[in-house]
This record gives sequence, C-alpha cells and structure tokens, in this order.
Amino acid sequence: MMDSGFDRRDFLKVMGWSGAAVALSGCGNTSIEDGKETLVSYVEAVDYQIPGVGVYYNSSCAQCDAGCSINGKVREGRVLKLEGNPASAINRGKMCGLGQAGVQHHYNPDRLREPLLRNGGSGETITWEKAYALISEKLKGVSGEEIAFLSGVVSGHLKVLLGNYLSSLGSKNHFVYEALAPGVVRAANKKAYGVEMPRYNISKAKVVLSFGADFLGAWVSPVHFSQQYAQFRKGVDGQRGVLIQVEPKMTLTGANADRWVPIRPGTEGILALGIINALGIATGDIAAAVKGYDKARVSKETGVPPGHIDKIAAILKLRSPSLVLAGGAAEGYAHGSQNAAAINLLNHVLGNVGKTVEASAAVPFPQMAPAKGNTAALKSLNDGLAEGKYKVLFNYAANPVFTAPGAMKFKDNMAKAGFKVAFAHYMDETALQADLVLPLESALEDWGTQVPEYMAEGAQINILQPLMENVHPNTRSIGDILLALLKQSRAEEYKNYEDFYAYLRSALVQNKAALGGHAMDEDAFWNETLTKGIIKLVGTTAALSGKAGISGLKLPAPAEIDEQYPLQLIPSVNISLRDGRHTNQPWLQESPDPLTTIVWDSWMEIHPKKAAELGIVEGDIVEITSRIGSIKTQAYLFPGIHPDAISVPIGQGHEAMGRYAKGYGVNPLKIMDAVFDRETGELAMHETRVKVSKTGQRVIVVKDESAAGAKQIREKIAGRVYTDNVDLTKEV
Amino acid sequence: MKDIREDIAWAKINQDVLKSLENPRKLYWVILFVAIAMLGVALGCEVYQYNVGMGVSNMDNPHMWGLYIASFIFWIGMSHSGTLLSAILHLMHADWRKPIYRFAEAMTTFSLMTAGLFVAVHLGRVWQIYYALPYPNERGAWPNFQSPLLWDAMAIFTYLSSSIIFLYVGMIPDLAICRDRMHEGWRKKLYTLLSLGWEGTDRQWRNFRVTYLTVACFLIPLAVSVHSIVASDFGMSQQPGWHITSFPPYFVAGALYSGCAAIITLFIILRYVFRFEEYMTLPILKKIVRLTFAIAMVWTYLNAVEFASVWYSHDQASKDVLIQKASGTYAPFWWGMIFCGSVVPLTLAFKRIQTNIPVLFAVSLLLNLGMWLERWMIVAPTFSHGIYPWTWDHDQWPSFVQWGMVFGSFGWFTLLFMVFCKVFPSVSMYEVKEMVYHRSQESKRLEETGKFAAAGKGAH
Amino acid sequence: MSISNLLENWSKFRHTHPVDDKPHDPYKWAMSIDLDACSGCNACSVACYAENNLPVVGKEKYAHGQVMHWMRIEHYWDEDVGEEGGREFPDQGAQFLPMMCQQCEAAPCETVCPVGATNHTEDGLNSQIYNRCIGSRYCSANCPYKVRYFNWFNYPTTDNVWPAEMVQQLNPDVTVRGKGVMEKCTFCVQRLRAAEVTAKSEGRLVHDGEVQTACQQACPTSAISFGNLVDQESRVHRQWRAQQVELDKDKQAKDDHEEPSELRGYRILENMRPYPSVMYLERVRESAI
Ligand SMILES: Nc1nc2c(c(=O)[nH]1)N[C@H]1C(S)=C(S)[C@@H](COP(=O)(O)OP(=O)(O)OC[C@H]3O[C@@H](n4cnc5c(=O)[nH]c(N)nc54)[C@H](O)[C@@H]3O)O[C@H]1N2
Ligand SMILES: Nc1nc2c(c(=O)[nH]1)N[C@H]1C(S)=C(S)[C@@H](COP(=O)(O)OP(=O)(O)OC[C@H]3O[C@@H](n4cnc5c(=O)[nH]c(N)nc54)[C@H](O)[C@@H]3O)O[C@H]1N2
Ligand code: SF4
Ligand code: SF4
Ligand code: SF4
Ligand code: SF4
Ligand code: SF4
Repeated sequence: MMDSGFDRRDFLKVMGWSGAAVALSGCGNTSIEDGKETLVSYVEAVDYQIPGVGVYYNSSCAQCDAGCSINGKVREGRVLKLEGNPASAINRGKMCGLGQAGVQHHYNPDRLREPLLRNGGSGETITWEKAYALISEKLKGVSGEEIAFLSGVVSGHLKVLLGNYLSSLGSKNHFVYEALAPGVVRAANKKAYGVEMPRYNISKAKVVLSFGADFLGAWVSPVHFSQQYAQFRKGVDGQRGVLIQVEPKMTLTGANADRWVPIRPGTEGILALGIINALGIATGDIAAAVKGYDKARVSKETGVPPGHIDKIAAILKLRSPSLVLAGGAAEGYAHGSQNAAAINLLNHVLGNVGKTVEASAAVPFPQMAPAKGNTAALKSLNDGLAEGKYKVLFNYAANPVFTAPGAMKFKDNMAKAGFKVAFAHYMDETALQADLVLPLESALEDWGTQVPEYMAEGAQINILQPLMENVHPNTRSIGDILLALLKQSRAEEYKNYEDFYAYLRSALVQNKAALGGHAMDEDAFWNETLTKGIIKLVGTTAALSGKAGISGLKLPAPAEIDEQYPLQLIPSVNISLRDGRHTNQPWLQESPDPLTTIVWDSWMEIHPKKAAELGIVEGDIVEITSRIGSIKTQAYLFPGIHPDAISVPIGQGHEAMGRYAKGYGVNPLKIMDAVFDRETGELAMHETRVKVSKTGQRVIVVKDESAAGAKQIREKIAGRVYTDNVDLTKEV
Repeated sequence: MKDIREDIAWAKINQDVLKSLENPRKLYWVILFVAIAMLGVALGCEVYQYNVGMGVSNMDNPHMWGLYIASFIFWIGMSHSGTLLSAILHLMHADWRKPIYRFAEAMTTFSLMTAGLFVAVHLGRVWQIYYALPYPNERGAWPNFQSPLLWDAMAIFTYLSSSIIFLYVGMIPDLAICRDRMHEGWRKKLYTLLSLGWEGTDRQWRNFRVTYLTVACFLIPLAVSVHSIVASDFGMSQQPGWHITSFPPYFVAGALYSGCAAIITLFIILRYVFRFEEYMTLPILKKIVRLTFAIAMVWTYLNAVEFASVWYSHDQASKDVLIQKASGTYAPFWWGMIFCGSVVPLTLAFKRIQTNIPVLFAVSLLLNLGMWLERWMIVAPTFSHGIYPWTWDHDQWPSFVQWGMVFGSFGWFTLLFMVFCKVFPSVSMYEVKEMVYHRSQESKRLEETGKFAAAGKGAH
Repeated sequence: MSISNLLENWSKFRHTHPVDDKPHDPYKWAMSIDLDACSGCNACSVACYAENNLPVVGKEKYAHGQVMHWMRIEHYWDEDVGEEGGREFPDQGAQFLPMMCQQCEAAPCETVCPVGATNHTEDGLNSQIYNRCIGSRYCSANCPYKVRYFNWFNYPTTDNVWPAEMVQQLNPDVTVRGKGVMEKCTFCVQRLRAAEVTAKSEGRLVHDGEVQTACQQACPTSAISFGNLVDQESRVHRQWRAQQVELDKDKQAKDDHEEPSELRGYRILENMRPYPSVMYLERVRESAI
C-alpha cells in the first residue's frame, strides 16, 4: 500500500506527466549510450521508487465490467502484477484470471503504437495533430443524425465527457453494445423487481436455484459472487447452502452444483412454472396460471424427471430464504423475456424478494452511472448503417465485426459509413475496417472513474489511475482524445483542462463534499482518493418496486425438432475469454477451460450419446452448419450437455488482433441466426439451429486432462462426501 | 567334435590373427563409412537437441524419460558379455572362452562408452554433468549420496575404468607379439609403448597371471553391482512397475542374456569376416548357444516372478501398469519383447539349430531386439500410467531425435569396434596357443590311457 | 575441508522428515484447500504464472504435454457418467482439485536427485535449486503427483514467450529459468523469505496472515489457506487440528475408527508416505437433492 503523506504531483511528474525521464530500468530498454536517458541513478533516487521493493498502487480492473478494484505491484517503474484491493466490497482483495491478465493487455506486443490512416489493406502512420484535423475535416457539414458513436459500457467521467462530445456534435446516436450483457434479464428484472440489477444475496440464501446464471464463471460480477458462494457453502446457521443449476449446457457454476439439471433448451420458464405449481404455495391468479403446469406435462416438455421437480420444490419449501437466478442460458430465446419473467416469479412466490433479492445502492450521480446496452443497440446501429444513415462512425471498446451475429452482416454495413474512426488497443477486426485508427493507452496507463453496474455493499466509484508511464509513448488516453475533440468546437469551455487528468481531478475535487471529503483540503482529498482507489458512498437505495405479476406471461410450447437443423447451438461463454476482446492475452489462451481443459482452440461439445449416433469421436473435425453459414472445429464428447444441443465457446476465431489471438479456433457468432427476443429486441443467443457433419479429418485435442485423466480410479484424489456424513460445525 | 584342432602350429596362430590387423578390405571401409554416417545422424540430433532444448525429443510431463534411458540400460546390459566370458568363465576354467573373450571384452568397454553417452544426451544440462561426481570443491557441494543415480554414475565410472584395465592387461602378451612382428611405423611404436616391455619371462608371466586374476575377481562383483544399481534407479523409486524387489537379479539376468546374444552375433560376424573358422569353432558356438538358452530361461522365469508378484500383490497401481503394458498403447512392443525374449530362444534347444549359423545369426538379432524392447518396456509404460490418474495415457511418441540417437549409437559402437579390430588382435593369441597346447596334451593323455585300455582288454 | 563439511552437514542436509525428535521450529509452511469452496476457476493458476514467471508455451508445446503450470486445476467426473449403463449426465458436477507440489516432508523427489538440487529446507519446503539441477528428471519420475515441470526449451529465448514488452512484467524476485532445469511450485518462497527476514529484523515471528501465496491471494472463493503449522494459532494449524490430520502420519488415527469419520480433511496419496504439506477438505454434496 502506498505510504500516506506524499505528494502525488511529484509522483506524476515522475511518471511522465511533465515529460521527465522515468525508470524503465533493466530488461529490454535503451541504454544511456543510445542518447535516450531512460536510466535513473539510484544515487539520486526518485521518490516512491525503492530499488528492489515493490510499491503498490490502487486502481481498477478494466478487463470486464464487474468493477473489481486492483492493487498493482510496481517495481522500478514497471507494473508487475495485479492483485485485488482488499478494501473493495466487490472483490475484497480477490481477482479472477481474466483480471490478472490485465498486465498482458498492458504489455501486449501487438498493441497499437501510432495513429494509423488506413487505406484499404495498408496503413500509414500519421501524427495526432493530423488525425484530429482529419476528424474535424470529416465532421464538417455532417449533421448530428449522421454521426454514430458505438461503444462498450462506459461510466463515470468518461461517460460524461463522451456525452458532452456527442452533444457538441449535435448527435444523440450513442450506441452501447456489450455482446454478452444480460440485456433480457435486466428488462425482466426491471419488471419483476423495479430495478435492472438488484443485489443478489447468495451468501444469505440456503438454496440457490440458478437457471443458467454462470455466476461463478462469467456472469455479471463473478469474483464478487464467488466470495458470496464460498460463504453460502459455509452456510447460514450451520446449514450448508444448496446449489441447483438448471441449464442445457453445463457451466462452471453447473459443475459446482449439488444437482445439475440438464434441461431441454428453451424450456426453463416451463420448469419454473412447474416448480411454482409443485410448491403449491402460490395463490390467486398465479396459482391459477400455473395449474396447467403439472409434473407430468412439465417433465415431458423440459425433459427433467418428475422426481427432480419434486425434490427441488421440496428443498425450496423447506429451506428459506432461497434465491432464484435467471441467467444467460434462460434468456437466449425469442421468448427469453418470458423465461426470465417466469423464473423471477419464483422469487416472489418463495418470498425471496427483499431477503435475498435486495435493492442495490446506486451512485448519487446518475450522469456517471454506466451506460448499458446489449445487442438491441447494435441492431439499431446496424439497421442505420445498412440504410446508409451514418456518415461518420466512431467505435470504442467494442468489436462488433467480431461479435455481431453473422446474419447481421455488420462488416458489410459498416463499410457504408463514410468515415470510420476506431479508438483501439489492437488492430482488431473492427479497427481493420476503420479509416482512422487511434491507439489507446492501456487501462494501467489511463486515468478515469468507473461506476460498476453491480454494486456490492453500498455504492462506490472506482478510480482508474496510471500504474506506470506509457509503454508506447504515442498512445493516448481516450479521455484526452475526447477532450481534444471537444475542444475543436468548444475550446473556450474546456480551456481550463489541459488534459483529461486535469478534468477528472477538478471534477472530483469540486465535488469533494459529496464524495466524503468535506473536511479535507483539495490536495489531501485528491491524494487520499488516489491512495484508496475507491470512493465509497452511502448511495441511494430505491426500494424494490416490482410486482409478482403473471399477466402477459405466456410460454410457448417447446420448439419442434427441425429435421434439417436438428441441434440447438449454444455459444458458450468461456470464463477467461468472454466476448473475445482478451483472447490475445497468452495466460488466458493457456488457461484451460475448466470443464474440458482445452486450450488455445475452439471445440464443439456434444453429448456422448448424440456423438455415438452421429459416429463422432473426440477430435473429429466437424462442420457445424446453420442457415447462415458453417464453421469447422474439433469435437469434444462431454456428458454435461443436453443431447439436443451442441456448444461452441465464444472468444476464439479471431482473424486479427495479433499473434496470440489470430488463427486460433472459430467464432460461433459468425453462424448465428438473427432471432431476437420478442419483448426487448435483444439477440436470442440460443436460437440458432444447426446440423453437424463429420469432415473426415481428426486431430488430437490439445487439453490438460489426458485420455484417462478425468476419472479417478481407486485412489482418493478429489474426495467427496455427502452432507449426511459430514459434520461441518466443527470446522475452522 | 573338438572345439579346436590340437595341431595348429603356433606360428600359424600368430599369422592368422595378425592378418586381421592388416590392410582392410573394401567392405571394411564401406562398413566403417556406414558406421560413421550413423554416428553423424546421432551427432546431428544431439547438436539440435543441445541447441533447442530437450523438448525436441518429444519427452513431456509425465514422460520424463524415454529411449535414452532405455538404450542406456540396453548398452549397460550389453557390456556384461565381456565380463561374463572373460572373468566369470576364466574363474570357472572354461577354456573354450579363450578364442572369443577378447572381442567380448572390447564389447564391454565400448558398450559402456555408448551407455555413458546416453546418460549425457539424456541430461537437460549436460554441460553440468560433473555435478553428479563427488569431487571436492570450495563450495562444499556434494552430490546426493542417497540417489541411485549417483551410485550409477560411480558404478559405471568404476566399471568402465576396470574394464579398460582388464582388456588392456589381458592383451599385454599379445601386444608384445604384435610389437615383435611389426615393421617400423606408428604401430610398432604404439605396441612397444603398450606392451610395457613384455619379454615373456617366468616372473612376468607369474605377475601377469596374478594381476589378471585379481582384476577378473574385481570385475565380477562390479558387473553384478553395476546392473543391480541400474535396477535400483527403478527399484528404489516409488513408481508402479518399477518398485519391484526382483529388479536387480532380473536386470543382471537380462544383461547377461543380451550379452550372450550379442556374443553370438559378433562371433558369427568375426568368424566370417576374419576367417577365424579354426578358432571360432562350431563347438564353441554351441557352448555359447547353450549358455544363452539357459540364461533366456532364467530371464523368462524372473519375468514370470515379476508378473506373478505384481499380480498377487495388493498394489493396484502396479497391476494397472502391467495390464496397460499387455493391452495398452505399448502392447505390441511388450508382446514383442515376450516373443523375442522368451519364445524365440526356445529354438536354441534344438541341436540342429545350435550349429546352424544363419539361423543363429537371425535368432541372436531377435534376442537383442527383444532385450532392447524389454528396456523400453521397463521405462516407458510407468510414465504413461503412473500412480496419479490426471496424467494417465497422454499420447506421447519419441521424436526422430530420440530414434536418431538410438540409431546412431549402433554406429558409434560399430565404429569403435571396427577400429579396435584393426588395431588390436581381436583373438587372444597366447591363450589360443594355451588352448591348443592343452588339447594336444589331452589327446596325448587320451592316447596313452587308450593304449592302457587296449592293453588291459588284451590281457583279458 | 569439504569432506569434513560433508560429514558434519550430512545429517542436517538429510535430516529425516518429519520427526518427533526434531520438530520444525519456528516455521513449517503448510496449506489447506477446501474443495467444497473451490470452483475450479483457474484464478490461482494465473496468479502463479504472474508471480513466478511461468512461460506460456503455446499450443504446439501444450499438445506435447510440455505446459509449465505449477498449479493445475484438475477435475474429476464420476466414473459411471457416460459409461455404458451408467448415468447419462454428470448431475453432481465435477470435483475440482487444484494440484501443485505438495511440499512433501519425506519427498520422494528429494532422495533420488543425484546432485541434491531439490532438497528440504528447515521451514519445511521442498526447494529447487535451479543452478544445481543437471536435468536428469529423476525427481519427476519419482514424484507421485507429477507436479514437477521441466524446462524442455529455453523459454526466455523462445519466440513469443516473452517478447521484449512482456519481459517487463517479469517478477525480479524470481529467476527466469533457462532450458534443462526442473521447476515446480515453491509455495512462493520469495514471499516467505521476505516475510521471514522482515520478521527476523523486527525480532519477532511471521504472524498468521502476514504472508500469502499468490494463488491463495487471488482465489475468489478463499479456498486456499496457508500458514505456519508450528504456530498453534494459525488458521492452517487450527484447520489441520480440527480435521485431525497430522503431518507425520501415513494413516490418520481418525481413519482407523470403525465409524467413518465425519471430518473431511485428507491428504492425497498419504499412504505412500510422502507426508505432504497440503491438506484437502473433501467436496461436499447435499444428500437431500
Ligand atoms: N557499502 C557498500 N559499498 C560497496 C559495496 C558493498 O557491498 N557495500 N560493494 C563494492 C563493490 S563490490 C562494487 S563493484 C562497487 C560498485 O560501485 P559503482 O560502480 O558505483 O556501482 P553502481 O552504483 O551499481 O553503478 C554506478 C552507476 O552506473 C550507472 N550505469 C548503469 N548502467 C550504465 C551504462 O550502461 N552506462 C553508463 N555510463 N552508466 C551506467 C548507474 O546508473 C549508476 O549510477 O561498490 C562497492 N562499494
Ligand atoms: N542486485 C544487485 N546484484 C548485484 C550487484 C548489485 O549492485 N545489485 N552487484 C554485483 C557485484 S559488483 C558484486 S561484487 C556481487 C557481490 O555479490 P556477493 O559476493 O554475493 O556479495 P555480498 O552480499 O556482499 O556478500 C556475500 C556474503 O558474504 C558474507 N561475508 C561477509 N564477510 C565474510 C567473510 O569474512 N567470510 C565469509 N565466508 N563470508 C562473508 C556476507 O555476510 C554475505 O552473506 O553482486 C553482484 N550482484
Ligand atoms: S471479474 Fe472482471 S473486473 Fe473483476 S477481476 Fe475479473 S475481469 Fe477484473
Ligand atoms: S509433490 Fe512431488 S515435487 Fe513436490 S515435494 Fe512431493 S514428491 Fe517432490
Ligand atoms: S532434474 Fe534436477 S532436480 Fe530433478 S533429479 Fe535431476 S538434477 Fe535433481
Ligand atoms: S504457492 Fe505459489 S508457487 Fe505454489 S502454486 Fe501457489 S502461487 Fe504457485
Ligand atoms: S482460484 Fe480458488 S476457486 Fe479458483 S480454482 Fe483456484 S483454488 Fe479453486
């Protein structure tokens, strides 16, 4: 941790803000002989740099949107390792693998270093001044409606600045697109609970019934949920929490469940209503509506044995409070909203709302709250592009050319925009289609504030601050860029802010009273804020307002088997690769998928029974064909999947993005049908139907488990006991 | 049939043997070239492996050892041929060994040198190989005296040096003959130097006999120990398939077995190449063949003991390894080993085959193939099916680098052997003379007793 | 000199483990891993890569079994799943198991190393001296858990393992290993040493929680506990005691009872007598569902 009482400005000076030389001592850097004075004498040591001693700075993880706080170990001016900041209620000092790989994003050899003016296949390095001038020139005479800005989730002051920039252009076209955001669940939650993301108190629940919410893997805030899960397993009142996971393809959470319930894809809502019926505690119109969902019918439609339905209902009845989660696997259908609504209804019926489903605190600055979005936003942008509505397109923190479903033909439509600017860290698939590519600083070099969507206890604003000077001197902060662009039209208003840092500092310092720093002078407040890396706020808590309504809830009968495309494609979310924006971080490529232990590649999971039917064995290269197109990948026989489904993970199949990503695996999103949830318009991720055929080729699957490895024979390697035979009360 | 004619003139013996040192025929050069080419393959592989890293051998976790260690054991085993013929049979006064022990001893030395190289190429950091030797140093760092691998290093080192001494000591009288028969030149100088002024005086002969006997006595326990220690590399570990008490005798039996088989092979080759029919006679061959048969049966028995004790033990992991050997990836090789090692030698029980040179040649090669497979089957299966299931049955196959090194080792061995044959007498002249002398004495005695017998008969 | 050195130090070098007559003092580092908490998320493994300069070997070498993960997350499925006549689905999930060097007190790897490159420290670690290792791989051959990783290649100079930029991430407290040496989990010895030295200079012992291994620190479910087994108050000590697992036993007293134990602490392959320093707590499954 940083010592208190130092002058942060000196530090910044050191870290390159006033152009001073900074110690990138040691490996791989230029020497004094080159005339580049990057060496620093330890005789005249700079402050906060103790040779041989690691210094820790707090910042925030930007690898996903969960908003974990990090504690970066810095030595001799280089950031070495990202650890969790124990003071954050979200991650309490813990980190996931993806978060830790942030240093490999920072030091990635394939990062963009210079602004590039692209000309078809080739690119020409230009200066920042030229780049800005070019943007200004291209914006001339273009109306606000003709400008679109596509971004991933943005929050905090960057969001404010971005909003200001767009309004300076007269544009309202900010499309926020996160490929894997729980868009449908958000909407369903809003209806059921009155908020998009309530606080799920896993640790207080005695039973968690999750419909495909991979909260231990990649869902919403996995590090936070993992800690909650550990507490939940220790139990409330000495009773160990029970996890039941319902999903057609086993996720990491499913693999940790006491009972994993494979279900026919898309029938999650039916099961939820069936459970309500079996519980027999609902009254009024709910009871009436679920009456038809008797065990026999539900079992027939969902493929879940009647005994299971009874057991689930029994344990939910017996152990209260419980918690029911609607996750990615349930929402990915044309009737996804209905599924999610039926599942959320269970929480009402069980009386969980207000106990394990609580209102979460919100940051009292709505303008800083995260701008969220999912595929519906992309669709509307795409439609606009297809119509040729946009003359200028900006893209930041999204890679739609890679993640958009193939049926959208986003790449072709993007070409119709006149001038495309990509703010990017890498030459990814979308940057490749841009006319101007502007290289960004890494998250470990940048300034910013972050407001996580999912708040743990209380509300917090996360601080993003540089842990070291730029690895590549000519990369810039997205904040600095937006500021510079803003100044093109509103120079006067922003003249006091030399850079985004100045903007941020003054924005926070001006508000210090509201941010818990009334008594402090500006510098002290600022220093403390940076030292802590988190601003904790009481936050505003709106009470949950949703109702247990069943009106309008209508679940379709399970889909008929399509003879031509008999299998359901489940594009699964890999715990480390997520939507593929970090595939180029080698630790993640070599981090085995927990369930299959496959590395550096894609695969198709198929149930052994189905595989036997099709004559497929492990390593067979299969062709998966949908109405949109086909992909080829290796088969992996996996009993943790419904025989009517196959699954291919998202994240691989890059055609760009550098040496660690390009050319590995395939992208299942490329063959996705454009089916959308009827209520929200979000992409129905699980609605693509496919057929699978062998190509005749076979490879050896590269994975950590060996042929016989996943079975323990005789020797007790990984032990397992049942709650009846173990006494957890005596444990330390 | 007699094992050697008793009327060979001593001068003829000298002449015949020394002829083998004379200018080689074309075929010699051809074979020498092939041997050097084979060695070149190995050298190329080693340079590649040294530069790039051990990984090019395709070894991995858990397959940490591969063909290098298997071949190491194979060549160590091979080295027992010389000790067996020279030392053991010498002490047992089996004088039929005399015409053939010299080349067998050379084999010992050369196979040890080959084996040593396999240790070197196996090491990840061959340049630090001397760390494994106990030498006093200022850092006070010693090797680990608990490790069988250290005993191995020391045993092999001792065995190699003793074998060289044994080979050399036994050659001194012959070197003197060479010296005396040679014209001026480098050879004369070499033999003069090496024969240590041998004149054949009584005193010299007396000292010679004592020395030779002493070294022979020293060598026998060494030979037994060296392969017992190699066995300890495995037996002292905790791994299934290795942790077997019968391993030392099993290894020694295997060593003698492969040694015998190699003697048959080389016997036939030398007999043909140097036209040593007079000395390397069929009765001698028959004796070796019978010995080989006996050892083959001992080896088979010890194998059976191993399987049985594994089978009836409660050590499931070891049982699994055995099952895996017989039915897993390695099954063809394992059954190949059983076939070559236990079935093929049964042919040696037939009298007609015991003197049938072409058949024997083929059989001896098969036996050695079996013995090489045996070593591989000791090393590899335990790695692919050890105690810990997570690493089981991961596919792994030695790369061309490993195979190249194994291939080249035969070239290296052949090269050493061929140079030896042209520089040193590969048949012991003085001992053959002794043998001829003994035979002639025997027949004289027989004649005399025969006379008496006849007389006695007549007296009836 | 060095012979007397040898004679004098031999028993110290080879003090038998674990021993009643020579208990560890003041430190014996040990771990316990709660498999019921572990979700198999791999965060610990990545933390180990970051902390200990582990090379990423790439797909081709991974395929050859030449990966270098000191901490690997194993999973085991029920034996009858997917088998003929067995269950169709793994409906009780997988059992995840983080596996790394168990820091055996009587380490099978140590006795066989010809040069003593892997040996025991007084604070109960199985240490690995890279400079001394000659790469015979005997230690790995004899490790029951197969957790030793060999530098099959010279990773520092291998393409794309540590390109110039990534070199800057390397932890200067940990060597970057060259080709031909063995390596494995060290219990993050660099962190332990730093803590021990700090404590010593302050005239005290390392207190519980002062030092964490990188894997423990990252683990989102806090499945890993680590500490000093000698310290009666340490969490690890209390856990081991509560689970009735003793370091110097190859069969625990609780396993002798007729009634099966209600405790879930166990050590893997304990019966082989390596006296591992890692205790696992069995994964629990609900009987009622
Ligand atoms: N108290 C104490 N004093 C000691 C010792 C001790 O153990 N304790 N050790 C003694 C010993 S053994 C030694 S060798 C000396 C070392 O004493 P010095 O030689 O003074 O060693 P440094 O301070 O390491 O290095 C001197 C300067 O070289 C600069 N430098 C680094 N690389 C380059 C380069 O490429 N080009 C140029 N031009 N400059 C470079 C560094 O920035 C640094 O300012 O100290 C001795 N003094
Ligand atoms: N990080 C870093 N590494 C460096 C250097 C650096 O500046 N920074 N400098 C390099 C240079 S120039 C040098 S010379 C080396 C020095 O490297 P080392 O020789 O390792 O240097 P020291 O740590 O000074 O001394 C080694 C040990 O000797 C012990 N010692 C002191 N007096 C005696 C004695 O009388 N007898 C015995 N037996 N032991 C004694 C000390 O307690 C210490 O433990 O380090 C090199 N490595
Ligand atoms: S969950 Fe997301 S924010 Fe948290 S550490 Fe992992 S990647 Fe970073
Ligand atoms: S686990 Fe293996 S490497 Fe670690 S101490 Fe035990 S035997 Fe040695
Ligand atoms: S590989 Fe290294 S540590 Fe292992 S036994 Fe050989 S020399 Fe010892
Ligand atoms: S204790 Fe340290 S070295 Fe061992 S696995 Fe954990 S992080 Fe890696
Ligand atoms: S980090 Fe923790 S939960 Fe994740 S695999 Fe490792 S031990 Fe298990």
